[in-house]
Amino acid sequence: MNNSTKIQHNSLSNSVLDSGLRSSLESDLKSDLESNQRSELEFDTKISFFEKIIKPILFLAATFSIVIVLLQLFFLFQQATGAFEYVSIKEFLIGTSWNPTEGPSFGALPLIVGTFLTTLGAMIIAVPIGILTAIFISEIAPIKLKKLLKFIVELLSGIPSVVYGFFGLIILTDWIRIILNRPTGQSWLAGSIILAIMALPTIISVSVNSLNAVPNEYREAALGLGANKWQTISKIILPAASSGILTAIILGIGRAIGETMAIMMVTGNTAIIPTPITNIFSPVRTVTATIGIEIPETAIGGAHYHILFALVVVLYVIIIVINSIAELLLEKFNKKCNNGKIKKESNKKINKKTNKKTKIISKKFNFWLKSNKKRMSKFLQYLFGLWLFSIWAGIWIGIIFIGIIFLNIRFYNFISSENQQKIAIAIIIGATLLVFAVLTIIIGFLIVNGISVISWDFLTRYPRDLGREGGIFPAIIGTLYLVAGAIVFAVPLGIASGLYLAEYTKPNRFTRLIHMSIDTLNGTPSIVFGLFGFVVFCIFTGWGKTLLAGQLTLGLMILPTIIRTTEQSILSVPQEICEGSYALGANKWYTEKKILIPSAAPGIITGIILGMGRAIGETAPIMFTAAVFNLRRLPKSLFSPVMALPYHLFLLTTTVPGGQDNAYGTALVLLVLVFILYGIATILQSKIDRNKKSFILR
Amino acid sequence: MSITKIKKSNEKFGQFIGSEFNVNENLSENQVIIQTKDLNLWYGDTHALMNVSMEIFKNRVTALIGPSGCGKSTLIRCFNRMNDVYDNVKIEGNIIYSNQNILAKEIQVTSLRKKIGMIFQKPNPFPMSIYDNVAYGPRIQKIKKKDQLDKIVKKSLKKAALWDEVKDRLDDSAMSFSGGQQQRLCIARALAIEPDVLLMDEPTSSLDPIATAKIEGLINDLKKKYTVMIVTHNMQQATRISDFTGFMYLGELVEFGTTKQIFENPLQELTQRYILGRFG
Repeated sequence: MNNSTKIQHNSLSNSVLDSGLRSSLESDLKSDLESNQRSELEFDTKISFFEKIIKPILFLAATFSIVIVLLQLFFLFQQATGAFEYVSIKEFLIGTSWNPTEGPSFGALPLIVGTFLTTLGAMIIAVPIGILTAIFISEIAPIKLKKLLKFIVELLSGIPSVVYGFFGLIILTDWIRIILNRPTGQSWLAGSIILAIMALPTIISVSVNSLNAVPNEYREAALGLGANKWQTISKIILPAASSGILTAIILGIGRAIGETMAIMMVTGNTAIIPTPITNIFSPVRTVTATIGIEIPETAIGGAHYHILFALVVVLYVIIIVINSIAELLLEKFNKKCNNGKIKKESNKKINKKTNKKTKIISKKFNFWLKSNKKRMSKFLQYLFGLWLFSIWAGIWIGIIFIGIIFLNIRFYNFISSENQQKIAIAIIIGATLLVFAVLTIIIGFLIVNGISVISWDFLTRYPRDLGREGGIFPAIIGTLYLVAGAIVFAVPLGIASGLYLAEYTKPNRFTRLIHMSIDTLNGTPSIVFGLFGFVVFCIFTGWGKTLLAGQLTLGLMILPTIIRTTEQSILSVPQEICEGSYALGANKWYTEKKILIPSAAPGIITGIILGMGRAIGETAPIMFTAAVFNLRRLPKSLFSPVMALPYHLFLLTTTVPGGQDNAYGTALVLLVLVFILYGIATILQSKIDRNKKSFILR
Repeated sequence: MSITKIKKSNEKFGQFIGSEFNVNENLSENQVIIQTKDLNLWYGDTHALMNVSMEIFKNRVTALIGPSGCGKSTLIRCFNRMNDVYDNVKIEGNIIYSNQNILAKEIQVTSLRKKIGMIFQKPNPFPMSIYDNVAYGPRIQKIKKKDQLDKIVKKSLKKAALWDEVKDRLDDSAMSFSGGQQQRLCIARALAIEPDVLLMDEPTSSLDPIATAKIEGLINDLKKKYTVMIVTHNMQQATRISDFTGFMYLGELVEFGTTKQIFENPLQELTQRYILGRFG
């Protein structure tokens, strides 16, 4: 600084400054500053080139999701509009005969009813079990058990749908046939059970999240007023989390409706409406299964082809509607949780209700209970046993119980609050054990039957005799190629897009649109991705069934997972650390490169691994685009077809009689690959959680 | 006290400025390094800073005090344009530093922030080693040579009185150190790019008394070479370390003067009441 910038305050008198004097002082100062042209500092006035172009690049990556959704809508609708030259909308929607080859008649009602019934059955089974398990995980289980259970739920969600289908076809339908003495086990019931198992992880994990989002103060407030654990759960926590749980159910429904491979393998695929409508042993056929079965058999461009696309559009629209309802509900729930409205409500509730209840209980029913204590404990034991050993009885008691909780039927009050709690917790534990049992049964069967098949030869030899003999080497390699390609395609795009969403967006309509597109992509059933890939990468480009088409389709499918995890892990890096970097003169890109992305890396990698786990097991997207059954050689280039594990398993199970042994082996290999990836993801996640603790700055 | 009254007293304040400076003889030796003129700032519709005009003197410690929400942090974040991080901020007025209005759009904040460093309320070391933390700033300026970086790291850590404690652990993660050490590391990190001015936004509010004393001693040493501006909740801290103090209330700079004058002979009733703890 130059001396001339000194303020010469000495010249000012003690008296009050008049405005003239003050302005002269200012102009004095100004001229001083102007005369001091020997500026010490030169500030940059230009933005660096890279800083300028990085935002548009990331922006392009982020808008890619919107483009894909629009393209999907465009292509699917375009293919579907041809349908109504051959069949009227009325006949299509309410016609009861689906017979594309003879007649031909295209009444889709049996298919829509099939989808509706299997989903309904699945929800009747999965909703009570899912919610009860979620309550156990979130509210009752000790911390270590909590982690184990969460891992189990992750694994359940990671098991590829074709493996579920394999299990359902080989084991579940057999059980139904033998135990219930039916001619065939392939039925609505089997489909619903399999769908229930597949929807469970979604229902459980979303419910657990919403239960965890209920502020701890509520629990403390309730317990502080003398409510016991079950009263707290049923009167405070469940109502507070209700819209979150509803979201979980809706997302579960979406998952069930969109499922293809498993349902195709266990429902018998007869396009009839069950008679009577409650006949759970009747075979059914769903919309997705129809698409999966018939697309490969149909002539491209014919009536049947276009009508199948009309079916896809119906499915897509249903899914989009369901998912947007879920999104809206979730948004509402988050707002509710944040502004603490429920706090007041629930405090009031517990004040009134628990006090009233305890009074009534203590006065009226203490006597009754004392005389019945022995009977109660026997009843409890019986109930517990029932839940462990009888799946169906347990489920129905669960449903009745949920009904009691929500409807508050009178006789519920006849049981003391303590015993209510015992019963409730017993049922909750029963439900959790059931989930655990399902996982053990599935994995157990696959390991017991598959382990003897697996040998070095099995892993390194080519298949012989339509896969009945020999190994699965080309399928393993093909799957790895497919996943690697999907990752190469989706990871840069996903990270760029996630970074843009986390760092460059303002909360405006366009950002909302991007988020909506990503949610839509995330909820789109894999069969729709498969068809989209088929239309665009196989037919539109003229490539046919190629490795590249499969890779791109799978890449599109895992893109939303990668975008979301990237965005969330970047957002979870504390703002203070970024400010620290800015304050040192780092620009935005430098900060992202050196601070944000490295800090968020474990989270991003977890997302990538989960995406890989999903890509390995998916069948529907590659069924039309890349996978073939029997190959003598490994694919030579990106433009040759490949074999893939899930598709191999699917065909071995459904079309090759006597291929069961090798199917067990293939399923086990697939399962092991998926579980290894999920194990790595879980370990990484726990590491991130630990890191987060060290991020909490002192 | 109502807003109109504050405004009135603010007008008076303009009149008092002259007399106040005359009272203190030393003042004439102070060099102005930063000057704000009629600074106004809005967060959306909230008028967070109102007509703030003040001078920051070279090689002096200037403290900003006032109740929470009075805008002192907002003000200090104007000097290195940290408020640019937020989207809905509108700033009017001038901040003159080195003969330039640093609020001008064409000035790149990155080059400004190399000259005006900042220490934050919570220690915010990067999740990397001590060495990399301190070398972060120089590396931005494309200083890549190992021996040069070594020198800068050593010098900066020494200036921040941290060298003796960490010289054998330069490769340890910064996250493993105590809060006070982390904060001094952040100071070392800021010093490594050789700024003129250090802005400190309640740098000791999350530290224990011993760590606080160390930071305060450090600030006292730093003012020989740097100009320090500090926001603090703690009035004792302001009296201990600062040469000048500004009292802010509801977005306005109510009174500004030497720390001695503000605490012993405040001209504004509002200032007096705040200092005596009779507020609200």
